[in-house]
This record gives sequence, structure tokens and C-alpha cells, in this order.
Amino acid sequence: MPVEVIMPKVDMDMTTGRILVWHVGEGERVSRGTPLFDIETDKAAMEVEAEAEGFLHHRVPEGAEVPIGQPVAWIYAEGEAVGPPPGAASATGAIPPAAASATGAIPPAAGRGGGGDGSGATAGAAPAAIGAPRAGPTETGAEGRPAGLRATPAARRLAREAGLDLATLQGSGPRGRIQGADVRARLETAMSPVPSPAAGFTPEAGGLSVTRRGAGRGRPVVLLHGFASDSLSWAPVEAHLGDRPILRIDLPAHGKSPLLAVRSFAELAALMRDTIDRLDLAEFDLVGHSLGGALALALADTRPRRIAALTLIAPAGLGPQIAGDVLRGICAATRPESLAPWLRMLVADERLISDGYVRQAMAGRACAQLRAAQAALAGILFPDGVQAFDLRAALDRVGMPTRIIWGRRDAVIPWRHALTAPGRVALHLFPELGHVPHLERPDAIAPLLRGGMS
Amino acid sequence: MTTAGGGVRELSYAEALREAMDIALASDPRVILMGEDIGVYGGAFQVTGDLVHRYGEDRVIDTPISELGGAGVAIGAAMTGLRPIYEFQFSDFATLAMEQIVNQAAKIRYMLGGAVSVPVVMRFPAGSGTGAAAQHSQSLEAWFGHVPGLKVVQPSTPADAKGLLLAALEDPDPVLIFEHKLLYKMKGPVPEGHYTVPIGKAAIRRPGRDLCIVAGAIMVHRALEAAEALSAEGIEAEVIDLRSIRPIDRDTILDAVRRTGRLICVYEGVKTLGIGAEISAMVAESDAFDFLDAPIIRLGGAEAPIPYNPELEKAAVPQVPDIVAAARALAGGRL
Repeated sequence: MPVEVIMPKVDMDMTTGRILVWHVGEGERVSRGTPLFDIETDKAAMEVEAEAEGFLHHRVPEGAEVPIGQPVAWIYAEGEAVGPPPGAASATGAIPPAAASATGAIPPAAGRGGGGDGSGATAGAAPAAIGAPRAGPTETGAEGRPAGLRATPAARRLAREAGLDLATLQGSGPRGRIQGADVRARLETAMSPVPSPAAGFTPEAGGLSVTRRGAGRGRPVVLLHGFASDSLSWAPVEAHLGDRPILRIDLPAHGKSPLLAVRSFAELAALMRDTIDRLDLAEFDLVGHSLGGALALALADTRPRRIAALTLIAPAGLGPQIAGDVLRGICAATRPESLAPWLRMLVADERLISDGYVRQAMAGRACAQLRAAQAALAGILFPDGVQAFDLRAALDRVGMPTRIIWGRRDAVIPWRHALTAPGRVALHLFPELGHVPHLERPDAIAPLLRGGMS
Repeated sequence: MTTAGGGVRELSYAEALREAMDIALASDPRVILMGEDIGVYGGAFQVTGDLVHRYGEDRVIDTPISELGGAGVAIGAAMTGLRPIYEFQFSDFATLAMEQIVNQAAKIRYMLGGAVSVPVVMRFPAGSGTGAAAQHSQSLEAWFGHVPGLKVVQPSTPADAKGLLLAALEDPDPVLIFEHKLLYKMKGPVPEGHYTVPIGKAAIRRPGRDLCIVAGAIMVHRALEAAEALSAEGIEAEVIDLRSIRPIDRDTILDAVRRTGRLICVYEGVKTLGIGAEISAMVAESDAFDFLDAPIIRLGGAEAPIPYNPELEKAAVPQVPDIVAAARALAGGRL
């Protein structure tokens, strides 16, 4: 039976997505991780990767608006007969099972485990999901079960315990029934230390996962996410960055990067520097959030001539205080109910963190190894709830155009740390935002990034 | 199992039953045996054997060819202080004594406010496989499992046959023992002396992680043979021997389902409305439901009288290849 490729939900209030461009032609072979197509929503453009191996058929035309969860193509196994599109009846308006998943689920096409493009909502990362400031807590379907979804009781229980949405799984059982093994496989994939050969991942680049987007020729922008987040957190602002090449790097034990252990901030910075050196960029703009901000600053200090402009969003490294309980809470949470309170502390307006968002975030953190690796990292970087590294001297030294963006309702790192910056650093302090301004108000933050990088 | 100690020898299932009756006759003057041809003839399946010569015709009593009459006398004797063990020649003939078993024995203690109990033991040679055709080959244990007031056991080994019979004699209520005819000659280790096997407690005959097979009587042995074959293929099946149908060991079954996520019920009685239906429903109603990773399978007897033709007789009840095939499909995620 062919595997359906469906329009993923990449944004909280997204109901349809438009196929911008297909990267794979009708009938062509794809493997896991092959970039299939780009989609555009009113907030973001994203690349969607293949989740299965085989041959792509029944593509919907480019430019088509497709409701989330609806198939946009099918992947047939080698030798599998290609008939009319499966479930062709859905063209008449009947919604196929997966489409009924109004649970905020990111469908399978979205990538590997919880870490794939568009799916892995991790703490502070919130891929496009919390990109919409006005999206209230009304997101559908906390308990809504996709109509017609087949799953064994054991699969339902395992998914429930892991906070995983069954609608994101393909069942291997009879008639597509999701069985316990399917859920366990997903959870194991999520904790696999070896990143999938996803598009843009360059294994030679220091072992960290790098995702490239944008075909333009402008100066590249390198994005470094924060602790317990991943590179998907940049999706909401990326749409506003024009056609410039974008490179997102996943920190170790985050997103698609392997569970590499580091012993100190210096080691982590060296790993990041190594990754960036291997990308062989002549000159680039560097943006970092939170821990990624500290890393960006450390990079700017050691590679000053290659970084044209530096943007630090709620950066770590400018003072000792940090909310250790939030870090511990996120690392320790094994259920959506225990994760939610900590995620809400990341934002000023709690309504941005819907139940569906939390479930997705938990699904991205279902892997115990990943959680343990992040907890270990937190213990090294923030022992006893204190920032054990200090980059204030580096901030004094760097000479490239630098700006700091901070929400004055940040509950994780005090915004007043920004006040230690020397006078030539531009400060943008948003009174109504929290620790993740680029997710809380991507529309307000993006113009600053654009301005800083043009 | 409580035991009085001593060694362990190999005995056949029939010998183990005889030894239990021997011990009971020797140690308790209230115990008597009743049944058709159980005296000099030694019983239709030679279970009572020579006991008449050792304990005399007052205690090993040949009864006339009337199950209704014999069962009635046994029940009356139990009510008035004796501990009778009444043997049916074939469990099929229980139909002739239904009034005494279901309407009298099962209900007297309840209807008399607990003033009188009925400590009778009834033994039923049961099951197919002997070429005895439709009226001598049935597995009717589920019928009696449906009646509150009765206890129904189904030993699968010589040791359990002895221990359950001795436990039945200690029980204040009517206990029905269904003995599979094909097991009578089966040998196994049996402890010496007096011991009991608790009524209402199943036994895990083989542990396994991939699925569990719940079976009774001869089906336990077919399930074990199937599990051995499956193990060679990498499928580890747990085999649970029910031993007791009423009361049924709910905890052991549910625990196995929670651990393995897959369940096959194997029983010789007719599939519809049988023991497997009860077990399946019990699992579906319990919290173990959440651990099921595949549909439950029942392998039961055909919806037909047991045929005389030996090949058809085999085909009418679950055999080892049936269990293997079902387990393969189940463990392979094809069901």
C-alpha cells in the first residue's frame, strides 16, 4: 500500500498550505529525507521531506492550496502497482482519515521523529506553532480522535503515555492499523543518535546537523537556536528574511544533531565553531537565541572578520541568573501535563501555548535519551541554576554591528542583562514579550533581523 | 500446592487420580466412591482400578445405569455427612443428571441459608480423540462453569489431577472435575502423600514475551508443543494452564495479557459461547485491554457434533498446527 504524503500543519492557525514547488518529479525515486516540496503559509515557507522510500506519484499541481492533512502525493514501494490515487473518493469532499486530525498534529511527511521539519516543536522552539500572536487557546481537538484512525489499544496507550499524536504515524498492521511496534519505532527514531540523512545535513560539518534553505545569492544567515529547542524554531521568522541563504544549526542533543556530550561551554563553542568553519562561508550574518546567543557571541569573538552582523535574542552569558527550575522542569517532563507549565513560562502571553502545542512539543521530547542528554548539558552549562560562563568581556570586544533583542517579561533570563552591553550595541526591548520574542512576535522581530543584516 | 513431603515418582494421570482416592479412602472414613462399573470392572477408563478389593463394596459402590439416580444419591450422601466421589462414565452423560447437579447441588446451600452444604465431588471423563463419536466425546465443562454454586476444574497433569481431587474433597461445595480421556495414560511426576492444588489458580506452564496462550486440559499440551515450534522461529509464547474454570484465575490471565499484548484462547468445547468467549470478554472489560496489540483469537471446537471419522474428529477441535498458525499470524502483525 502506498504511503501518503500529506500537507503538514506547520503553523498553529494554518488550515491550508500552498505547494510552492516540487523538488521531485512524478514517478521519481525518493528516499527518507529527500526534500519533496516547499510549502508556503501566510507565515512561513518550509521544505517537506519524504518519510518513506519509493517512487512519488499523484502529485498535486504546484500552486495548489491543500487543506492540512490531505494527501498531496503518494509514495509507492518498489514494484508496487501504481493505480489511480488511493482514496480518490476524497477528491469529492470526503475527508480522509488523516485529514480529520485537527489536533495540531504534524503529519508524517514532516520528517524524522519529533525532530523533522515542521514537526518537532520543542521547548522554546515552537516551530511555527506559536508564531501567531493572536492564536488563542482555542486550538481544536485536545481529545479529538481522527475519525477512522485504526490503532490497537496498546498503540493508543503507548502514544498517550508519550504524548504522541497517533495521526502522525503510519500503521504497519492490517488495513493500516497502527500497532505498538509502530509507536515504539517512532519513539526509537526520535532517540536515534544518528541523524537521518536529511536534506541539507552535511555530516562533514563537525557532526552537527545543518539545514540549508533559500536559493538566493545574498549574504548567508546562520541561525543558532536555544537550549531545549531546535532549528525549527526559526521557521516563523525565516519567511521574513527574503531570499537569502539560511543555515540553521542544531545544537548537540537537539533537533537532528546527534547526542554528542560536551564537558564545558568552551567545548560546545568549539564544536559550533568547527561546524561553521567546515561550512566554508566567506562572510555571514549570525543570529543566536538564548544559549545560541551566547554561542553566537563566542563565535563572533573568535571569527570576527567573517561575521558581518551579530544579532543576539535574549542571549545567555551576560549575567549569572537563569531560571534553573524551568530548565530542569523541561528536561524532566515526560508528559504533556508536566511540560506545559514550563513552556508557558517561556512566553509572556500563556495563550500562545495551546494543549495541542504542548502535546507536539512533548512528542518531540519523547526520547528519554534526548531528555537525559539535555539535562546533562544543562548541568554542565548551568550548574545549580547559574550561568557558569560569562561572555560580557566578549561583548565588549566584538566590533561588528551588534544588536540585542529582549522581551522585558522574560522569565528565564533577566532582560536587565542587556544593560551590560556597551553603548555601540543596539538594544530592542519589547515590554510585552517573554523569552522567545522571535516566536511570540515574528512579525515584529523579523524586520529587525532584516535591518541588521541588509 | 501444599504437600506432606516425600518423594516424587512418575505416575499416569489415571494412577494419580487413583492414588488420590486411595489416600482419601484410607484417611477419611466419610469418603466413598460411587459410579457405574467402578467396582470389579475398575471403571470405564480403569481409574478406580482395584480399589474395590482394598476398601470393599460398601465404600466403592457400583451404581445402577441411572446418572440421575446416582448423582442424586451422591448429593444426598454429601448433605448427610459423607464425602462421595461420583464418577460419570462419560461427561456427556451429565445431561441425564442436570437436575441434580444444576438445580440441587449448586443451589442447596444458598436456598437453605447456609444450613447445609453439598461437599460432593463428581468426576467426568471428557473430550474427543478416542473415536467414541458425538455422544461420548463432548467437552461440556463450560456449561457447568456457567452455574454459580459449582466449582469446575480441568487438570492437565497427573500431579494436578491428584492435587485438585484432594482439594475438591476438602471443599465444602460441589466440585466437578473434567478429566480429558486422552490424558489418562499420560505420565508425569507426582509427589507422594497428601497434598492439594488450590482450586481457582492457573499455572504458567511456559513463560513468553510475544503472546500468551490460555488453554485447559489436553489443549495445554498442544499449546506447549506449539510454543516449542514457535520458539524455533523466534516467537516466544507464554502458555497458561487454566486448571480451574470456576472460579477462573483472572489475575494471572490479565497479567499475561499486560505483559504480552496478544492473546489466544484454546479450548476444546464448542467455540461459540465457550470458555474463550468468557476470557476474551474479561480482558476487554479490564485495564489489560489497553495492552492488547492485536485482536484476541479464540481457537475452539467446531460448530458441529464431534464426528466419528478419525480425520474429521481431529479437524473438529484445535490441533497443534492450528495454534502455531494463529500464533504466527498474531505475532507477525497480520491479524
